[in-house]
Amino acid sequence: MTISQQTFAFVADHVRRHSAIQLEPGKEYLVESRLLPLARAAGVADVDAYVTALRSTPHHAALGDVVEALTTNETSWFRDVTPFDALREHVLPTLRAAPGGLGRLRVWSAACSTGQEPYSVAMVVEDAAPGLPLEITATDLSEQVLARARSGAYTQLEVNRGLPAPLLVRHFRRAGSHWQVADELRRRIRFQRHNLLDAPPPGGPFDVVFLRNVLIYFDLPTKRAVLERVRTALRPGGWLVLGAAESTIGVHDGYERVPVGRGALYRSAGGAAPVQRPAAAPAASRPAVPAPVVPAPVVPAGAARFGAVPVGTQAVGAAAPARPFLPSTTGALPRAGTGTPVPTRGAGAR
Amino acid sequence: MSVIAGDDVHAIAEEVFAAMVDGEPGTVVPWDGPAPTWAQPLVAWVDLHGAWSGRACLATELPTAHALARALLTLPADEEVGEADLVDAFGEMANVVGGNIKSLLPVAGTLGLPQVAPEAPAAPGSRVVTEVALAWHGRPLVLTVLTVPGAP
Amino acid sequence: MRALVIDDSRTMRSIVSRTLQPLGFETVEAEHGRAALDVLEGGPLPDLACIDWNMPVMDGLTFVTEVRANPAWRSMTLMMVTTESEHGQIVRALAAGAHEYLIKPFTADAIRDKLDLLGLLPVGEPA
Repeated sequence: MTISQQTFAFVADHVRRHSAIQLEPGKEYLVESRLLPLARAAGVADVDAYVTALRSTPHHAALGDVVEALTTNETSWFRDVTPFDALREHVLPTLRAAPGGLGRLRVWSAACSTGQEPYSVAMVVEDAAPGLPLEITATDLSEQVLARARSGAYTQLEVNRGLPAPLLVRHFRRAGSHWQVADELRRRIRFQRHNLLDAPPPGGPFDVVFLRNVLIYFDLPTKRAVLERVRTALRPGGWLVLGAAESTIGVHDGYERVPVGRGALYRSAGGAAPVQRPAAAPAASRPAVPAPVVPAPVVPAGAARFGAVPVGTQAVGAAAPARPFLPSTTGALPRAGTGTPVPTRGAGAR
Repeated sequence: MSVIAGDDVHAIAEEVFAAMVDGEPGTVVPWDGPAPTWAQPLVAWVDLHGAWSGRACLATELPTAHALARALLTLPADEEVGEADLVDAFGEMANVVGGNIKSLLPVAGTLGLPQVAPEAPAAPGSRVVTEVALAWHGRPLVLTVLTVPGAP
Repeated sequence: MRALVIDDSRTMRSIVSRTLQPLGFETVEAEHGRAALDVLEGGPLPDLACIDWNMPVMDGLTFVTEVRANPAWRSMTLMMVTTESEHGQIVRALAAGAHEYLIKPFTADAIRDKLDLLGLLPVGEPA
């Protein structure tokens, strides 16, 4: 059983126009397997019949579901660790060092998709500032992804994507073929449907807003409008975290770009205490962050980023030396592919 | 004791094919039709030992096993797969499936090393816990989980 | 950078190696823990070891324990790459001294994500 060429051509064209994602010939099985659940939910026998029904109704509401079904991929937890390092090493210390301190942290994770970002934020804060009251508002346009995010259940392939093993064992338990996020993390997050072009969601004013890899899809006036709404949701001096390829520069002048680590953060201007220049990591002024505990006294740079082995293991040794702000191993690297052939031991008899 | 749900086994198979074989999801769907029969079967299996003992088997036609091995080893479509590569690649699929099935069990156990043959040896007293028939690019495969009571 | 890929399946060794090589790793392969210790004793220390769990002769957990017992090998990053996927097994491997844990099946992207976490991704690789 396979789908017709007309079905494939229609879906490929529709998805390309609405997501810029190309479905090359040969991906018919992908279209079929992703759309079959939609077809069945609609009470239609197969994908051809489902798509035929969509084609007969211009602007059919389900066309958005088709794009979503074909463009949703598993997202990473800490892939691109830079913003999470910045949260841990710069944002939290700066907020806590401000006059009055930080009694409670309010975070908005905008366009949170299936929830990896808000749960990652919760894990970082839990690790770096245990006991700090935390309220995360996580929003997305799609109820479908929000339902998945709320459930806190992730497949093995999903937990393999950039979730540090020490955090996996600390915050998740097995549930059949899935992994389930601990309730302690789930109860810190309120998921709700929200359109970025509408007024900000309740739960603010926020200390930090994560809005990563969303602006790239918008034209300039829309970017400006979204950044303005976000600014009104941020507390003065609050922090905006954008994707690596995004910036407020030339779009909205209500933010100050602050270089941190390998990337940059954006600080809401207006009413804030003088902005601290973070050229150096705030080592001297920042409050003590619990040193990660690792299985042995010496670990490779970067390996101890997420700290401890779980409770109940006896191999917990001395605290690791302070981790450099940037992993030192990302320096000059020899090029691969040169030199000796790879010796493969044995003939593989099992 | 039916601790292993067919849905979980199906989810495991989907993940194994998506990640290891095809590099994208959606390449394995439920087999639509009468139960597959084999002209030239090849079976890869791993035994699970411990408080729960049993076996996870992956069965298919020989040409499908060749195609799987070619995909895993990134060989061109027209390249012959040697016997050793076929056994290693198909056996590793059973190993990965078996390890994930082991994680569904409520009790700890160990995993044997994978084996490959035209048919799995008889396991006295064994009982099928779950059997899932799948289509990989239209080719049938059957994943079977057996309990083998009292196996060493 | 050098990586030692330890797995009794040559199919799996080849999958891991061909993911690592474009990321700037020169790979050496071993088919069990004992053979991997021979590699460590006989040559320069790799930056990374990717370690299967269930192998004949010497399993991956024993290999990790042996490596952690030798101070000369402490700068090597140890990542389990295995189909063992119970919560308790991951805890055991971390307690024995593994730094990361990747569950089979995995995608090439999953390896890249782990290397990013470990600070082993080359400069210029988009994160």
